[in-house]
Amino acid sequence: MSGHLIDLYGWSGALASFVLWLLSLPFELLNWIALQTGAQKPGPLVGFIDWLAGPDLTALVALIVAITIVLLWATAFHLLIIMWIERKMYSRLQDRRGIMIGLGSVEILRNTIGRIPILGAPFRRPSHLGTGFLQTVADGVKLFQKEVITPEKADKWMFHTAPVIIAASTLLLFVAIPWSDGFWLMGSIENGRPVNPLGILFILAAFSIAPLGILIAGWASNNKYTLIGGMRAAAQLMSYEIPMLLCIIALVVFAGTLDPFELVRKQTAPFSLGPVQISFLPNWYVFNPFLWIAFVVVFVTVIAEAERIPFDIPEAEAELVEGWTTEYSGMRFGIVFGFKWLRALAGAALISILFLGGWSGPVFATFMVPNMAAAGQMYPVPILPQEFWFTLRIYLIFVVFVWIGWSVPRVRIDQILNIGWKRLVPLSLLSILLAALARGAWWS
Amino acid sequence: MVDGELVAFVILSAIEVASAIMVVTAKKLVHNVFWLAMTLITIGGIYLLFRAELIALIQIIVYAGAVPVLFLFGIMLTRRKIMEEPHESE
Amino acid sequence: MAEMWINMGPQHPMTHGLWNLRIKVDGETIVDAEPEIGYLHRGYEKIMEVREFQKNVVLTDRLCYVSSITWSHCYCLACEELMDIEAPPRGQYLRVITNELQRIASHLMWLAAYGPDLGLLTALLWALRERELFLDLLQLITGARMNQNFPRIGGVRNDMPSDFGKYCRKIIAHFRKKLEEHEALFEQSKIFQMRTIGVGKISRQEAVDFGVTGPNLRATGANLDLRKLDPYDAYPDLNFEPIVAYEGDSYARYKVRMEEMKLSCDLIEQALDRIPDGPYRVKPPRRAEGEAFRRTEDSRGEALFYVIGDGDDRPYRVKIRSPVFSNIFAAPIMMRGNKLADVVAIMGSIDVCVGEMDK
Repeated sequence: MSGHLIDLYGWSGALASFVLWLLSLPFELLNWIALQTGAQKPGPLVGFIDWLAGPDLTALVALIVAITIVLLWATAFHLLIIMWIERKMYSRLQDRRGIMIGLGSVEILRNTIGRIPILGAPFRRPSHLGTGFLQTVADGVKLFQKEVITPEKADKWMFHTAPVIIAASTLLLFVAIPWSDGFWLMGSIENGRPVNPLGILFILAAFSIAPLGILIAGWASNNKYTLIGGMRAAAQLMSYEIPMLLCIIALVVFAGTLDPFELVRKQTAPFSLGPVQISFLPNWYVFNPFLWIAFVVVFVTVIAEAERIPFDIPEAEAELVEGWTTEYSGMRFGIVFGFKWLRALAGAALISILFLGGWSGPVFATFMVPNMAAAGQMYPVPILPQEFWFTLRIYLIFVVFVWIGWSVPRVRIDQILNIGWKRLVPLSLLSILLAALARGAWWS
Repeated sequence: MVDGELVAFVILSAIEVASAIMVVTAKKLVHNVFWLAMTLITIGGIYLLFRAELIALIQIIVYAGAVPVLFLFGIMLTRRKIMEEPHESE
Repeated sequence: MAEMWINMGPQHPMTHGLWNLRIKVDGETIVDAEPEIGYLHRGYEKIMEVREFQKNVVLTDRLCYVSSITWSHCYCLACEELMDIEAPPRGQYLRVITNELQRIASHLMWLAAYGPDLGLLTALLWALRERELFLDLLQLITGARMNQNFPRIGGVRNDMPSDFGKYCRKIIAHFRKKLEEHEALFEQSKIFQMRTIGVGKISRQEAVDFGVTGPNLRATGANLDLRKLDPYDAYPDLNFEPIVAYEGDSYARYKVRMEEMKLSCDLIEQALDRIPDGPYRVKPPRRAEGEAFRRTEDSRGEALFYVIGDGDDRPYRVKIRSPVFSNIFAAPIMMRGNKLADVVAIMGSIDVCVGEMDK
């Protein structure tokens, strides 16, 4: 069992108190000047300084810093990486190399850092031999530069509200998704352990808001393609939420908790299912035969929730141009398009927490680092922390998404709904039954 | 010191009442549905103030996520001329 | 939901060119469809009247940019009929080889376009990868990858290089293996079967009524292959059976084209085995009088050139019968009652080439 690297609230608290201390310095100086010029002893600004560097404001700023860190971690870091993974991965599936723009493509870097003898080597590489990571950044920059065009006959107010709904509901997902025992935003600490009794339910609730935003986006654009795309998206997302919820109910019936931390803790132990004990296998729910169906159904529904091929019928660029995102341009398009990847990322995290042991993983060695939150103390940090294992799982699940997505055609909308209602819903009911049977036999 | 919960309650209920009025007064179908969703989500927020987290989340899953979209579907599948509505407002 | 007309085109990812398909949908179900063509009309038949017989080959090459040689070949055959000459045997065999290479390249282009239509972008890259090999072969024999300007009235422009047969056999053997991968990607995929089987059905009678030809007609069970039915060039010497499927749906059309690629490989190998030595071209007369027509089995169906000469060195009138022009108007029959997403599954399987359709 490995420990965590990032202690989110500890770090953000330390950062917040440092920032507030810096902010209070000029007032300290003013206070000192006031004292020198004959003010009474504590000085006129002491109350303000106490408030500024006091615990209330520090806690508030720490919370804001923590939220910012989580959102940047998800959107700026992981979003770019999974986009890069997807583009490189499907390029390899298609027998080509894909995006290749690297640091060497930036002329300024090539002419400055590239001239340094050894350290500048990555910047000297020709642009067609790079890793391509800069391409995702370049695409983002390009989208920022583009004009935001609002169709003249569009319902402007709704047209601009829809991306906000979609972005907000997607970012809400990352509020509840913990990245390790220490890197979490939503929860509390009880008995030295993080708990978040309704975390999974919160994630599902955040997932369920998006269809509304998509439907509004499709309608407000006043375009037939977007209208049909929006209707399709809403129908698909609604009908795939139900088997997803049912299968998670099956898991909850089996595991007895909706707490992501508790779910991961349960999966860290060696495998045990009633009389069967296997010491070398972790107790991941994916290995549990009573939950296999639930795992498959959740996997399929997550692909559908993220609107990925084969379930990307709302986008369906062959017949609907770009689906419900057709009329969006500039960064509005970037938001509605990029956040589909974020939903896939959140879905992969959800699968990982529910079935694949979350962030548990072996720890090989630790090293001691000073504690930022409490000066003078040292604490052990594993060389492969929980964040690493969790990220690794998410990326591997995402690679499977990409692998599936780029080797099958797209399913038709009525077939999607058939699969959803006639196959997945009965299967998920079956998995609830199985989980209840296993639970009844006290095998959980 | 102002009671934070009271402030939150007042803001939430103000949004809720305003959007409930908008539900019945807005002219366009999708606007109605949007305001309905706003009403239901703010009700979820008020449940949160009552420390009823589970019912708040259920409220958002069922009422905010599913019911407005179902309404919209039901109406869109029966009514004619959905696309023309934005034109009339111009 | 209300019934509404949706324009798919003139600029739309589905069209693969410049034309417009107007679709009337009731919710997701197609009620009616109307192809609107003519966006790419270049007045071919008129231009050809002011150019000399031989120089028109440059134009006919550009009728369909993915199937140049088959079109020029048809024109040359019609002119030969008009001038009452015949290409020497080696020229005929060279025509068969290039024709079939072009047919494979054209079918691969269709396959490459069909994948993204169904959301399978990987197929595009894979099929273009294989098409590259056949373009290389065509380049080896004609010197160009596109618009080869290779067939001539009275034969072909040049002989093939001495080591052409070696490369050709090697690439065909490689392609046969690769084609299995394509089949694994397409027809062994359950989703592809769901998308195409039973979609876009057209009966044999309706297809004949609308003048559908080529793979689209053979997919309805009609054994109509002009290479067999109305043989030309060296085709009578070669052993082959036309590919026929009976369902008449998108899957059958797909299957016919896939099998045709294998058939073309066989034909090329047979032609390479039997190709005689000798001249590859005879000198045609400069002027011609009378009228003649010739139909050939183009990659997309029955191509027909009707040429009238009035004793001048230019044709008096040329009439082109494009297979796609007829096929595309059978599309509404195939579409009615299907879902909106099936439009691409149907139009992709018809294999539209706007260049030859709008002439």
